[in-house]
Amino acid sequence: MPEPSTTAMRSTPTGVIHDIGYQRYDGPRLGRRHVFGALYLHGVRTTFGFGRSAKAKIFPWLVVGIVTLVAVALAAVRSQIGEPVATYAQFADSMSWLVLFFVAVAAPELVSRDLRSGVLPLYFSRPLPRSDYALAKLLALVTALWLLLGGPQLVMFLGAAFTTKEGMRGVWNELLDLLPGLLYAGLWAVVFASVGLLVASLTGKRAFAAGGVVAVFLMTTPIVGVLSILPSRTANELAGLASPSSLVQGVGIWSLGDLLLGEGDQGGLSIGGFGPVYALAAVVLVAGATALLLARYRKVAS
Amino acid sequence: MSTITWMTARGLFGRRRFLLLLPLPLVLLGLAVLCRSLGVDPGEWGPAVLVGLGLAVVLPVVSLIIGTGVLGAEIDDGTVVHILTKPLPRWQIILPKLAVAAGVTAVTVAVPLYVAGVLADSVRLGLALAAAAALGALAYSALFLALSLVTRRPVLLGLVYVLIWEGLLGNFVSGTKVLSIQQYVIALADRLAPTGLLETTVSVSVASVMTALISIGFTVLAVDRLRSFSVAGETS
Repeated sequence: MPEPSTTAMRSTPTGVIHDIGYQRYDGPRLGRRHVFGALYLHGVRTTFGFGRSAKAKIFPWLVVGIVTLVAVALAAVRSQIGEPVATYAQFADSMSWLVLFFVAVAAPELVSRDLRSGVLPLYFSRPLPRSDYALAKLLALVTALWLLLGGPQLVMFLGAAFTTKEGMRGVWNELLDLLPGLLYAGLWAVVFASVGLLVASLTGKRAFAAGGVVAVFLMTTPIVGVLSILPSRTANELAGLASPSSLVQGVGIWSLGDLLLGEGDQGGLSIGGFGPVYALAAVVLVAGATALLLARYRKVAS
Repeated sequence: MSTITWMTARGLFGRRRFLLLLPLPLVLLGLAVLCRSLGVDPGEWGPAVLVGLGLAVVLPVVSLIIGTGVLGAEIDDGTVVHILTKPLPRWQIILPKLAVAAGVTAVTVAVPLYVAGVLADSVRLGLALAAAAALGALAYSALFLALSLVTRRPVLLGLVYVLIWEGLLGNFVSGTKVLSIQQYVIALADRLAPTGLLETTVSVSVASVMTALISIGFTVLAVDRLRSFSVAGETS
């Protein structure tokens, strides 16, 4: 039974919303593309620690420093002895441990921090679809990894180009060597970023995320070693599929050939005639990891 | 069993993410069984599985995740204050946590290593690997527990040690092997069960002394650091 007083209050509302003078925003409202771009740029800056404290820069720049140092050393040795010590693709290969460490530093910073501090609902209340958030983060990590490998390759190229003895022709030949190397670095970046980001997005604790990323990549490497000594030629040649890093190498051997292997060097991984299988597996791996990442962000924080 | 031990164990096992630790030992077991059943020569797969996977990856990574987790997780959450404000001597906080970390790591790693060792060579090798891995788990746990008190980013610093110091430099610069827990574990296991499967350049006396030194030294360091510990917020 309603009270008489509440009925009276319902019929004559007394509440008033006062205008206390907050200024309204009537500038242009940027749409989805701008949100994506801002998130992407912020992501790239985060991976290198820009706009953050000096402590956040230690680990990314440690890796960048070591990689660049190796590239400078290779370029210097090459200019002295006149022979390339390592091709651009071989350089990318030999840096895989450092790339792995960089992913373990960067991926948790990109996604785990947002999960932990519970800001995802704030992001998703903007004109930003959930898939865009995940894709912007993924693209940022890919870019960062590609810069990490491509920058030192450029250093090696500059070193070779300025010391070449064949004039412009030498520079041109060097450039033709560099471009596949950059593509190969892009392959490393895409594979490592998609798998690493997927693992990191599973937990809000950065410590666990970093450990998980490293565990996934390190755990798979010895599997390749074991599979490649099994008494079956097919198993040996397909062994590289078991680990992301040897998968990338397999694709590289298939597509780049002697650019990766060098003369008379077998490179440890023999893929036989299974090159296309490796390429297909790489595509499936990246597509699968991205799809799982998107699926994860369809559910998280909802 | 003290309350701290109980709380630490529950903090480790109470979450689903503990299950994430299981794949590593399972892969180790699976590969050993696979190689054995296919009749591959143990001389070929032994080093790859026992050292390459077991002692170089599973042991340090599991120790890293658990060792930095037992105290680091509470520091991250800020709940470490509740323990620190209790009238407990600091060593009564560190030692139970170290015991839980080392114990859980040792069980997780030693069991699959024992089985793999038996499959590779003999029960003796299995026991030697399990014992050496347990000692290694203690040293690694002490190191990583101390790291979680010394720095705000213990996992990354631990990864630098495992990946770059033991993994990368250990292959190129043999001098760094003298300061690598992984090499001590290999040396100890090789001493307990001499086979051709395990190879190291570190002598057994150096290995045993250094393992003890690392275990005790880093525990003392952790107790000392916890004595004047300041609780800060999330790292920026």
